Amino acid sequence: MNNTKNVPEKKSNTPILIIGVVLVMALLAGWYLLSSPKTASNTNTNTAKANTANTGKQTTIPANAPLGANPPNQQGSPTALVTLEEFADFQCPQCGVVHPIMNEIKSTYGSRIRFIFRNLPLTMHDKSYDAAVAAEAAGMQGPNKFWEMQNLLFVNQKAWTADPNYRAVWKDYAQKIGLDVAKWENDMAGIAAKSRVDEDLRRSKGLGVASTPTLYINGVDVPFQQMNVASLKQLIDAELAKAAPQNQAAPAAPANAGNTNK
Amino acid sequence: MDEPVTASVKRSIAKLPVAAAIVALIGLADAVYLTAHHYNVEPVPCGAAFDCEMVLTSPFATLGGIINWFGPETMAPTGSVSDIPLAAFGAAAYFVAFALATFTAFGDRRMWKLFGAQVALMAAFSGWLIYVQAALIGAYCQFCLISAATTFTLFIIFVISLFIRPKTT
Repeated sequence: MNNTKNVPEKKSNTPILIIGVVLVMALLAGWYLLSSPKTASNTNTNTAKANTANTGKQTTIPANAPLGANPPNQQGSPTALVTLEEFADFQCPQCGVVHPIMNEIKSTYGSRIRFIFRNLPLTMHDKSYDAAVAAEAAGMQGPNKFWEMQNLLFVNQKAWTADPNYRAVWKDYAQKIGLDVAKWENDMAGIAAKSRVDEDLRRSKGLGVASTPTLYINGVDVPFQQMNVASLKQLIDAELAKAAPQNQAAPAAPANAGNTNK
Repeated sequence: MDEPVTASVKRSIAKLPVAAAIVALIGLADAVYLTAHHYNVEPVPCGAAFDCEMVLTSPFATLGGIINWFGPETMAPTGSVSDIPLAAFGAAAYFVAFALATFTAFGDRRMWKLFGAQVALMAAFSGWLIYVQAALIGAYCQFCLISAATTFTLFIIFVISLFIRPKTT
């Protein structure tokens, strides 16, 4: 190799070979990393979570956990047999991914489930605490307004997250959903909306929930891999079946939830 | 370049591209790991002083997020082109840097100039990403810092190579 002459003719194929091998190895490594977590144990916590959800109640919500904002932001029926409790951050991309999934679950099951949304603005997301307060302040003009604001914040997450004038963007949302904007701004600055967020935060702290989105179904932690419509339906159906023999008297489902009464 | 160079100088020049190729491999491994992380949404193991999730799930971790930051808002559904993680571009860049360094090590000196231009751009972008972590996200992830370190190392290797040019006799 040291004898490289100054005459550059007759290029060897060795560099191309080496580069090709590296490319193949990089692609294989990427493919392996992408597929491994579902089969092998990449991180202990997640497999532990997965096992828990599959085998039984280990990561359950302790009875003495802080209650969170009261009343919580909830949809469905408060007396439903299955309760979903989601902890989410408005700036967390995965929460934005899970959002439409939750919407589909809510519309599928209607009043057969109780869906609770908890604010868990992670401290290092610069706007998510304010976003949670903005949603809570909207909720002070009616529970539906909370959900409308929550929906807009998630659907447009990338837009306002990257916008230095995000408050103006939120103001547009407030107008769009028909809020009394002056009152909404006032409530955002006030104590009540903030303290609801803080109470949710206390609950997540008490439960040891540190990442978003975190979802409990009847108190059992659901691993992120199962936060898709098919897996969630399985889990919810299983919970409904478990509860059904004891108590058939679930409230009637609304019109949009009638198609899955298997 | 046509002038004969002494054997010792030639050897030291040849060592730099080899070193660069090895460093680029480290960067490539790091970037491939982060790219895979992005798509399977597995949390990466993170030291106590870091907040990897904060950085890797921030808008700055994807192409769309960066574009949104600089340009007009464009709604980017997950799974689209905008959702391509920066780490994937990093992986591609490290691979190209590796290829250029390898060609140089095997005698194709023209590739070294391309290598230099590329790593200069990479170093500038890495510098900006460190600023983003420090000033805009307020958190660091060690895998991102490893990537920045490898990029800066590549750049430094190139700069050193400029100073030990073969002496013409």
